[in-house]
Amino acid sequence: MSEIPFKNPGWAGNTGEFDLTEEQVRGDDLVGKRPVDGGHPSGAASYPYMVADRNPDATLFEGPYRERFEKILSRYPDKQAALLPTLGLAQEIRGHVSPESMDRVAELLELSPAYVRGVATFYTMYNKQAVGRHLIQVCTNVSCNLCGADEVLEAFLRYNDVEPGETTEDGNFTVIEAECLAACGFPTCVQINSRYYENVTPTDVPGIIEALRSGKAGER
Amino acid sequence: MAYPYVSDREVRVLSRYFGDPMARRVDTYVERGGYQAAKKAFEMGPDAVIEEVKSSGLRGRGGAGFPTGVKWSFMPKEPTRPHYLLCNADESEPGTFKDRELIRWDPHQLIEGVLIGAFAIRAKQAYIYCRGEFFETTQVLARALEDAYAKGYVGKNIQGSGVDIDITVHLGGGAYICGEETALMNSLEGRRGTPRVKPPFPAAVGAFGMPTTINNVETLAAVPHIVNNGGAWYRQWGTEKSSGTKLFCVSGHVNKPGNYELPLGFPLMDLINDVCGGVRDGNKLKAVIPGGSSVPILTAAECDCALSYEGVQEAGSMLGCASVIVMDETADIVKQVRRMVQFYAHESCGQCTPCREGTAWMTRILRRIEDGRGAEEDLDTLVEMSRQMTGTTICVLSDSAGAPVVSSINKFKDEYLALIRRGERVGVA
Ligand SMILES: Cc1cc2nc3c(=O)[nH]c(=O)nc-3n(C[C@H](O)[C@H](O)[C@H](O)COP(=O)(O)O)c2cc1C
Ligand code: SF4
Ligand code: FES
Repeated sequence: MSEIPFKNPGWAGNTGEFDLTEEQVRGDDLVGKRPVDGGHPSGAASYPYMVADRNPDATLFEGPYRERFEKILSRYPDKQAALLPTLGLAQEIRGHVSPESMDRVAELLELSPAYVRGVATFYTMYNKQAVGRHLIQVCTNVSCNLCGADEVLEAFLRYNDVEPGETTEDGNFTVIEAECLAACGFPTCVQINSRYYENVTPTDVPGIIEALRSGKAGER
Repeated sequence: MAYPYVSDREVRVLSRYFGDPMARRVDTYVERGGYQAAKKAFEMGPDAVIEEVKSSGLRGRGGAGFPTGVKWSFMPKEPTRPHYLLCNADESEPGTFKDRELIRWDPHQLIEGVLIGAFAIRAKQAYIYCRGEFFETTQVLARALEDAYAKGYVGKNIQGSGVDIDITVHLGGGAYICGEETALMNSLEGRRGTPRVKPPFPAAVGAFGMPTTINNVETLAAVPHIVNNGGAWYRQWGTEKSSGTKLFCVSGHVNKPGNYELPLGFPLMDLINDVCGGVRDGNKLKAVIPGGSSVPILTAAECDCALSYEGVQEAGSMLGCASVIVMDETADIVKQVRRMVQFYAHESCGQCTPCREGTAWMTRILRRIEDGRGAEEDLDTLVEMSRQMTGTTICVLSDSAGAPVVSSINKFKDEYLALIRRGERVGVA
């Protein structure tokens, strides 16, 4: 594979020949500052963040989370329509959506538990099992693949000494292969929790992992 | 340089403020003339807006290219029930990365387009359905929307016009198929994202059983410009059948990949060689997929075509969402085709047997060929499977999966045969 000759200002901060900072490209002043209660109801369903800091035993939908849930409900003509955002909310709080969380969501939205399971398992983003604090999703679809995505995936797996889907022993990282993330012009695109890293090459991998491990990559 | 690669051959209408961090702010947007188109539209009335958009010739940018004004005119004129506008921001077609850029650089442009679209189809509620992975992107959008509400550009009695329109940002759960319009409606309703049988069409029975229109992000983002400047103005670019400008998402083996806004009808070879700085490393061009992974592949010799809906069709493919994937001589066609089909197998919703079984089997056969264990008959089997998977299912995902397979077998048969006969892969260093 030839070295990728371009460095766009993706969200990884490869600002190279361009005069924008990483923050400007990412819109950092707008991202990551929204209140837990959801802020204005129009955007309340547009969470959650996939945060590193979460607790599998936390109580669901209390305090500000309850407020956000109510705001979400207010935007749809029926309760069922709030199902996807509510599952997302449960995942934001607990890190994954266990059968028990699904039952709780079912109860809240007056749906049957079987129905909720059927829906939750249809979508890839609801983690049915606990994942590492940082979920690393490497796009290996065609555009990224042409530019060496398989090597990037391999580098993440090797550096962490894991198989796809496996979590590192310290509970920090889970690495999986992802489908196209809609950043095909900035290959390889890697989504880590809520954040997109673009133009990632195998040589960037140790730096990214260590930045995440030390908390320098920013929490989101 | 302010934004990843710009070209002086671009006509930047929708992408004008890409790379300008200030464009995300409501005040900047208004200073630059924002939200005037919405005001003007409210004064014109829904029918006049629809006529203006019809006259512009704007065609849907989500892939199918259906004329937007005509689609809007299918909605009932006298609403007896709620109407809905859904903005399709599920962008997941491999090779496509324009909607995310439109949202994260210029969210108010989209919000204004959604307002006008909703007004034209007489909807009081619009949803922007963003793919679940777009956390950061939707945060930018949600913040912009919140600001627009605060300033009275969205919500009740917008800009004192008496018009009420609410917009809600919705986040999906990760499933390509939810980009298909009826699957998107199911998903929005809290169901599995499975496409519905048509008819009934969304304009009659759509989201929540109500008349609904679905438009792509780029389609709606173009609308404020058309309302401001008129349909004839928009027609100064493009061809008779493909009017206006279009964002071309160029990825793969070019020196300067990225989004370029160009008049429709722009020559494909100029896009690659001039706008995108040529094929990387001075390599030779091998193939181009001009419209995202769902369209037939073009050989280098076929790339001498115009990037309009009709031009690409004449060349034997489809413009789709204008996602141009460029492959140079080092590209491994069989591997890339397998990767695309694997994607469809993963994303098939599973309702229709030809699609569910077909995509999975195609992946297995292609893997076998890739591993040097294929047989020549496999190629006939693949073509026959694709034939059986076309036109036999609820949605066109099944048809799409066959497009790269059949076209690559027809055009790059020697690569398949080399693998089958000698277990040898062409092109890979
Ligand atoms: C399998 C499949 C996936 C699709 N994915 C998308 C998508 O991600 N984004 C999109 O805008 N349209 C997508 N479409 C097209 C939509 O069904 C629909 O035609 C489009 O959103 C209409 O908007 P437009 O008229 O503005 O193009 C998809 C269609 C199919 C069959
Ligand atoms: S063609 Fe495939 S994706 Fe479309 S409805 Fe049928 S099974 Fe689902
Ligand atoms: S192919 Fe990797 S982001 Fe689209």
